[in-house]
Amino acid sequence: MQTAQQGNGEIAGASSSADDLDRLKELLVGDELDALDAVQARIAELDRKQHELPARLPDAIEDAQRGSGSTRMASALAQPVTQALGAAVRENRQVIVDVLFPVIGPAIRKAIAEALRTLVADLNGAMENSLSVRGMRWRIEAWRSGVPFAQIVLKHTLSYRIDHVFLIERDSGIVLERQSAPGLEDLDADAIAGMLTAIGEFVHDSVGRGGGNTLDAARVGEHVLWVIAGPRASLACFIHGVPPAGLHALLEQRLEEIHTHLGDVDDGGGIDDAWRASLRPERLALDAGAADLSSRAKPARWPMLLILLAIVGAIAWFAVRSERWNAGVEALRARLGAHPGFVLTGIEEHGRESLIVHGLLDPDAEAPDLSPGAAISGVPVRMAAVGYVSTDDAVIARRARRLLAAPQEVQIAAHDGVLALDGKAEQSWIDSTRERASWIAGVREVRFAVTPITDEAAIARGKLDALLRSIPALHVNFVRDLQPVADTDAVVERIARDALAANALATTLGQRIAWIAAGTNDDPGSDSINARLRADRARWLADELAKRGVAVAIADDADVPQIRERGVYLRATPREGSQ
Amino acid sequence: MTATAHKVCMLGDFGVGKTSLVSRFVRSTFSEKYLTTVGVKVDTKEIALPNGAISKLVIWDIAGRSNLDALNMTYLRGASALLLVADGTRERSLHSALNLLMQSRGLLPDAAVVVAVNKLDLVEHWEVAPASLVELRRTLPVFETSARSGEGVEAAFAEVAARLAA
Repeated sequence: MQTAQQGNGEIAGASSSADDLDRLKELLVGDELDALDAVQARIAELDRKQHELPARLPDAIEDAQRGSGSTRMASALAQPVTQALGAAVRENRQVIVDVLFPVIGPAIRKAIAEALRTLVADLNGAMENSLSVRGMRWRIEAWRSGVPFAQIVLKHTLSYRIDHVFLIERDSGIVLERQSAPGLEDLDADAIAGMLTAIGEFVHDSVGRGGGNTLDAARVGEHVLWVIAGPRASLACFIHGVPPAGLHALLEQRLEEIHTHLGDVDDGGGIDDAWRASLRPERLALDAGAADLSSRAKPARWPMLLILLAIVGAIAWFAVRSERWNAGVEALRARLGAHPGFVLTGIEEHGRESLIVHGLLDPDAEAPDLSPGAAISGVPVRMAAVGYVSTDDAVIARRARRLLAAPQEVQIAAHDGVLALDGKAEQSWIDSTRERASWIAGVREVRFAVTPITDEAAIARGKLDALLRSIPALHVNFVRDLQPVADTDAVVERIARDALAANALATTLGQRIAWIAAGTNDDPGSDSINARLRADRARWLADELAKRGVAVAIADDADVPQIRERGVYLRATPREGSQ
Repeated sequence: MTATAHKVCMLGDFGVGKTSLVSRFVRSTFSEKYLTTVGVKVDTKEIALPNGAISKLVIWDIAGRSNLDALNMTYLRGASALLLVADGTRERSLHSALNLLMQSRGLLPDAAVVVAVNKLDLVEHWEVAPASLVELRRTLPVFETSARSGEGVEAAFAEVAARLAA
């Protein structure tokens, strides 16, 4: 008990000493303890604020970006963000690539498309001067379709066919989707995709280490393999031939679109039919062509217009020249066609340098006029004719004159096969011709009106001569001065009748007669009186004959033979040519 | 019916018979020269599952080695299953296979794993003790196979397909 009490006393003593110690501490370091409590409260407050910082940070950043604070904020974050991005690229490159892939892809594609457009424009410029037949044909195709000329060139020079398209999961190499052109041999797509993935990894590991480079293309002969790599899947395209650059861009675009759907696939949504169809080879080829068409600006058309202008000019010149040539040839053809005794069978043209006229020519026809005419002046024209018998009227007449040896006095004409002969000819010619005329080729009927030549002229000439001899013998005698003897009228009547008959005969013979009245006198009387009497008596007879239709002149007294009687008579002087 | 494709990687030490097992199981598309050049050869095989579904195994035969280098690790990416192959006549090859499994676990934590102890036709020369196999079967499916006779080969791959379908 004592021990217990002693113990209690010790405890009470100890408690008292502890209180004392506390009081002592408070006395010695009371101010410091208060300060320590304040510091601890401050630390607790800071811890609380630190825990609240993530929640408050967005608001704080937004507050900092207001006004001039935005510049300070950007400056303050520039360095740490740059360093953080660098560290992220070094340590989590794939994440950065995955994030940036949808952004970088279109940007790169746009840059490549711009470069290709420049290249195509240069190519177009280089081809502008190409004037080969094939180039002209392509130009016409480009002009008609509105497609750039360079595109047409590429279309014709680059031919390709997409054989297979594999969408390959990048990590596993498993084929997510496969499209092949129809008619191709079946192949183990998964094995090929696996090996392709393995080889890609091998190439990357062997030669592309340290960079993002991957196997993106391989070529064996005419076969090309394109691998377009994405963060989660790759597109492998097996191509035969030379594909256009636009196809690669299209495949990149398809792959980017597919990546937006891969999340749905992971969620069990399956591969969408729409983008499965978008990987079909024929669809890709079609879209690649359409993309190229829509992305290119139209080329300059002035070369085409110049060429067209030149072509139109050449055509016009050729048309005018042809028209002139044809007109000249047709004029020659018309002239030769109308030529009697010539049948035109053709005109042979030798490169518009010369003409050869082919036809049938009657030997009795006149030679055709082969002058080329104004339209084709200077062009030599040659005749290549063979003989034939013409039934043209003009040729029949010429033939009849030649065969019948017709004299000039015979006129020959032909009309519709009827041969007409007119005029005078010797009886012997008439006798021999009358029958032969109908034998002439082309003559179906003969109208023979040729009369024989007789000696009527001689008869007429004889009668005329007789009259010219008898008329001067018919004297009108006068008793004295101008007093005629009895029966003078009968003599005058006879003289007049004979003179008119002589005139008619002379006309028949192509002659004319000049009648002269000549007076006479007997010896007595002076010369002057006798001369007056001779003139008066000549005038008396002229008057009397004039009354009866005979024109008579008065004889010059010097020309009158001296006949010793009182009278007057009529004499004639025949002259060639009728009045 | 569309077969679901799965990537299966063959792992094992050099000379354990991985390529022979694959050749026994599939009709090869590619030459084995890829194994010495690229380091891998890919073949496929479709297997009918008990439920009637078709499973397509895309088998990556990776060149044999006891350790996985960076290239082989890339070959393993995306694999759904591993078929570890050991040579029954070389106990060390079983240790190598398990070592490869441990190395690949970081990359393929959820991959199905099947072990094939090959060269059953030389069972009288086996170094691998039956007790070791019993112990191993407690954690992994183990098949004793012979690429030469074909014994156990189909069963091993069928197990892989079954585990992938499960």
